Amino acid sequence: MVEILTSQVVSGLATGCVYALIALGFVLIFKATDVVNFAQGEFVMVSGFISYTLLVWFGLPYWIVLFATIALSGLMGVGLERLVVRPIMDAPIFSIVIATIGASTVLRSFAGIIYGYDVLPLPTIFSKDPIHLGVLSFTAMDAGVIGFSLAIMLALYLFFKLTKTGMAMRATAQSQTAARLMGVSVTRIFSLTWAISAAVGGVAGVLIAPIIYLDPNLGFIGVKAFAGAILGGFGSIPGAIVGGMLLGVLENLSGYFFNAGIKQVSTYILLILVLVVRPSGLFGAAPVRKV
Amino acid sequence: MNRLLGSFGVLSALVGLLVLGGSVPARGEDGVTDKEVVLGAGLDLTGAVANWGVNIKGGMEAVFNRVNEAGGVHGRKIRLIAYDHVYQPPKAVTNAKRLVERDKVFAMMGHLGTPTTKAVKDYLEEKQVPNIFPATLASLWTTSGKWHIGDLATYVDQTWLMIDYLVKDRKIRKIASFYQDDEYGLDGHLGGKARLKHHDLTYVAEVDYKRADIDFSSQAAKLKESGAQAVILQAVYREPPRLAEQCHAIGYHPLFIGPSPIVLDKTIELGGKHVEGVIGVEVYPLPTEPGPFLDLYRADMKKYFPNLALDTTNLYGYQKAALFVEALQRNGRNLTRDSLLKSIESIKDWDPGWGLKYSYGGDSRRGMSRSARLVVVKDGKWTKLSDWMELQEGGRK
Repeated sequence: MVEILTSQVVSGLATGCVYALIALGFVLIFKATDVVNFAQGEFVMVSGFISYTLLVWFGLPYWIVLFATIALSGLMGVGLERLVVRPIMDAPIFSIVIATIGASTVLRSFAGIIYGYDVLPLPTIFSKDPIHLGVLSFTAMDAGVIGFSLAIMLALYLFFKLTKTGMAMRATAQSQTAARLMGVSVTRIFSLTWAISAAVGGVAGVLIAPIIYLDPNLGFIGVKAFAGAILGGFGSIPGAIVGGMLLGVLENLSGYFFNAGIKQVSTYILLILVLVVRPSGLFGAAPVRKV
Repeated sequence: MNRLLGSFGVLSALVGLLVLGGSVPARGEDGVTDKEVVLGAGLDLTGAVANWGVNIKGGMEAVFNRVNEAGGVHGRKIRLIAYDHVYQPPKAVTNAKRLVERDKVFAMMGHLGTPTTKAVKDYLEEKQVPNIFPATLASLWTTSGKWHIGDLATYVDQTWLMIDYLVKDRKIRKIASFYQDDEYGLDGHLGGKARLKHHDLTYVAEVDYKRADIDFSSQAAKLKESGAQAVILQAVYREPPRLAEQCHAIGYHPLFIGPSPIVLDKTIELGGKHVEGVIGVEVYPLPTEPGPFLDLYRADMKKYFPNLALDTTNLYGYQKAALFVEALQRNGRNLTRDSLLKSIESIKDWDPGWGLKYSYGGDSRRGMSRSARLVVVKDGKWTKLSDWMELQEGGRK
């Protein structure tokens, strides 16, 4: 019984890590540009298909595919920023958000046209056979997903904390005007933010596609991750990570203790409960009222 | 000014008369002209069961293309209009209205999905549009009256077969049910419950999932805890591979068995080694078997849809269309909705050339209701496990 419970928690953490990565993508763009990018889920889906193409159509080895997909996803992020967001930079935020929704539909349709709407299995090097460590039970796949996600999050943390570019991004997120005055190229930072967000989405795609099969509607996972980001406090990076992971574990546990119906709504029930008690999310900063 | 108002009034009256005149129902049926008969189909072409939808459409069109090339049936060509409902009931309703009111189809043919077809059931009855051979084997269609007519054995019949096999042949008494929480899954699930009672048994676990769900780790955990030796899967093709994989990941290896919607190559493609040994119920032969009807099927599919692999999915659509063409033949030149239904009901002991017979007549709203057999995934292929069997009359209790 305990073993089954731990395996549920661990696999919940694995899905949670993927939600966390996608949530991170949302928050990064939001912090830097105030835009909510509703095409984030589709970034995940497209990167899943990119890795499928490289693995299956071109037969490249797994590790090359992994890094190539991340790089290509980053490029896709920059592309979207230049094509869709930059031209309407001065429009109200809401218009830009609608444009990202439009982009998500376009990406989904292109995927459908190129690959069809049937569901595709994506091979992975991580095996799904069970491993037992005392009372813990999990699969190499779970461990791989959690491990790799944590590595990426650590890399991002170090990037923001220690590198000059990372610092420039944090400065731009705090105040665009001040950053500009300090000699930061704000437009370049925006492109970089979109690139990183999309690349992080790319990692999420490569990690989750072998677990849940690939199809053009995979992007709807973005909705769950978005809820995770709100849960943790939209605008807080640690919040996005904690929110996402919490969501993953909660889903599995509610499915285990209750049933499939409760599992589906558990995300939103938790969200409502948290927001009622703490309206700015778990880690979000309460808005300061300047009188 | 008054003159202008006056002329406007006359104009409106004229327009009103024209509209009214145009909406007087025309004599004769919708969807039938001298040269063609128009059929409608609501299918899932891009959603959770798109593999079935796309292939059913291909199978049906293969037959219609061949027949049309030879001049049609009694001088009428058959035209199929298909819309995508993405396996969502609300969309199915919108599409059905479009097909009936705008496209004026003669009949709904091969409508895919139990929950989706159930959503359009009342509407079709109200409009008196026949629902021919819907692509759902729910027992509902056998008791819905004259406008609905099915083709093959129902999920309840199939589940009875599975349970009898498990209990009598495999001596398994701990049986669990994994089912889709909607009209499709419930049909077989509840039918199975009744059959288990007959054997003095109950399900050791009843675990459900929501349509289009993708993660079943909690369901796998519950099934393992119940100690079930066999799990009946009231599912389609995404769920069995995923469930099997997640069960194996927690060290649980039950016998999986499921009805006809799981018997297609996609299940094997997604599941790989995890679906070896999964048993399914077949209600028509495998596409690779010999015989004149299947030869014709293979030739037609190769000619018209070379990019669709031969599979149980397109054969399913193919046999529906062949059955429809046979009914059209028997009907003769004077085609109405009533006469079509009567022609279908007149089909008795008709073998299209594969050794199994369709028989309608009386209360039987499905033609090949008694034929089924078991198949198993062996070495990555669906293989015959039993001979053709006569099913008992099932039904939900």
